[in-house]
Amino acid sequence: MRVMIVEDEALLALELETEVEAAGHDVVGQAASSSTAYELAEKTAPDFAFVDIQLLDGPTGIDVGKFLASKNVPYIFVSGNLKRIPDDFAGALGAIEKPYTMNGLQNALDYLALRVEGGEVPSPPPGLILASEVA
Amino acid sequence: MAVEKDVRGARDAGDRLIAAHASGDPFAAAFKATRMPMIITDPRQVDNPIIFSNRAFSKLTGYSAQELVGRNCRLLQGPQTDPAAVAKIREAVSQERDLAIDILNYRRDGTTFWNALFVSPVRNEDGQVIYFFASQLDFTNIKSKEAELAAARHIAEEEVARRTADLTDALTTKTALVHEVDHRVKNNLLTIASIVKLQARMAEDEVAKRTLFSVLSRVEALSTVHRKLLNDDDVGHFDVAEFAGDLIVDVVGALRRSDIVMTTDLHEVIVPADKASPLALILNELIGDVVRRGLSDGGGEIHLEVRRLNGHFLVRVVDTVTPVVFDQREHDFGRLMLETCARQLGAEIERKTDGKRTEVSVTLMVNE
Repeated sequence: MRVMIVEDEALLALELETEVEAAGHDVVGQAASSSTAYELAEKTAPDFAFVDIQLLDGPTGIDVGKFLASKNVPYIFVSGNLKRIPDDFAGALGAIEKPYTMNGLQNALDYLALRVEGGEVPSPPPGLILASEVA
Repeated sequence: MAVEKDVRGARDAGDRLIAAHASGDPFAAAFKATRMPMIITDPRQVDNPIIFSNRAFSKLTGYSAQELVGRNCRLLQGPQTDPAAVAKIREAVSQERDLAIDILNYRRDGTTFWNALFVSPVRNEDGQVIYFFASQLDFTNIKSKEAELAAARHIAEEEVARRTADLTDALTTKTALVHEVDHRVKNNLLTIASIVKLQARMAEDEVAKRTLFSVLSRVEALSTVHRKLLNDDDVGHFDVAEFAGDLIVDVVGALRRSDIVMTTDLHEVIVPADKASPLALILNELIGDVVRRGLSDGGGEIHLEVRRLNGHFLVRVVDTVTPVVFDQREHDFGRLMLETCARQLGAEIERKTDGKRTEVSVTLMVNE
């Protein structure tokens, strides 16, 4: 799948990109601020997105998430502070709490790819908190 | 002229009252001598004048008996006297009933005093009200103490409010600081992991790559402890079973092998924050060891148990794998990590090997 990464920490974004590509997916681009994220989403129409909440222009990841939901782009939050996520998860499939582990991320990615492709999904990995479980 | 005539009428009434009581009358003597200020008024005369007052009343108000006779009690009122209290007295007199009331009165020299006034009608045999009797009690001291207390309470309340505001501000600052530090620690741990992982991926040398990944797994064990310990809902709460369960599911899941049989027997064991990191590293080594010895290459069985056992706490990993050749240094370092963390916790390690089956138990005491 074609994945967009919204993350203001360049190293974390690079590492996430490497991980996503290693799993056989394409990264359409990285965005460090909400405005870049909107542009990138409009331009590339990704299949999926990872969205950090705290971005260069503040805690704007929630708005980015709502925008993606309005464009029917499935996404998850990746954040050190899950409390910031609204109760309705702003349309996100779920969230991964930082700091995540390599195995946790890989397992979550496998699961999410199956969800996005509409296939049969196994039970979610421990590192992935699903919106449907919380709601 | 009219006033003088009234005064004379009042004085005559007073004289008659005294005349009715022989000089030896103990009640009259008591009235005159008591320390309680008292007066008697005559409601049958115009404006209900004072016809008799005792020495204590003169002492309290500064008016002589001569000055008082023929005057209505309102001479004690002044600008700060509560009109509502005055109205109540007037009402009691017109309705000919008793009244006890606190009222601010004025002395002859214009100074004020708080007067606990008691007014009571005196009736003759026909039931007709012939006098009003009034006693006074100066409670200015009590009143000023009340005021002092109220002022002191007010000051104390203001002080409490001020301190509470200070504490609230301090708490807000501290909370913001804790969140900031937590955020930075999480980000730094993930950044450290990212650096190690990026370098591991770029490493061409297999040993260097494996070494970096093994460093990564230990950094991740510690960062997971941080994440769970500082969970907003329950700070300092660390369940070894939950950590162990997540770890084994993620490790085995990431191996992406269908020939692994994983079983667990996990029971909640909450440990203090200072024991969380060494325990996380121990679990990481135990599971990592199984992966290295063959689970990663040929699959097999892995069983993980975490539970309390007679005041002890047990972590047990049992595996059946086909042994593979592994890096001895890596293996030795894993052992060193395991033994060092166990020593820190005062835990005992027991290892049993039977063919392809290996069982490692780590037992330690935990405070209930």
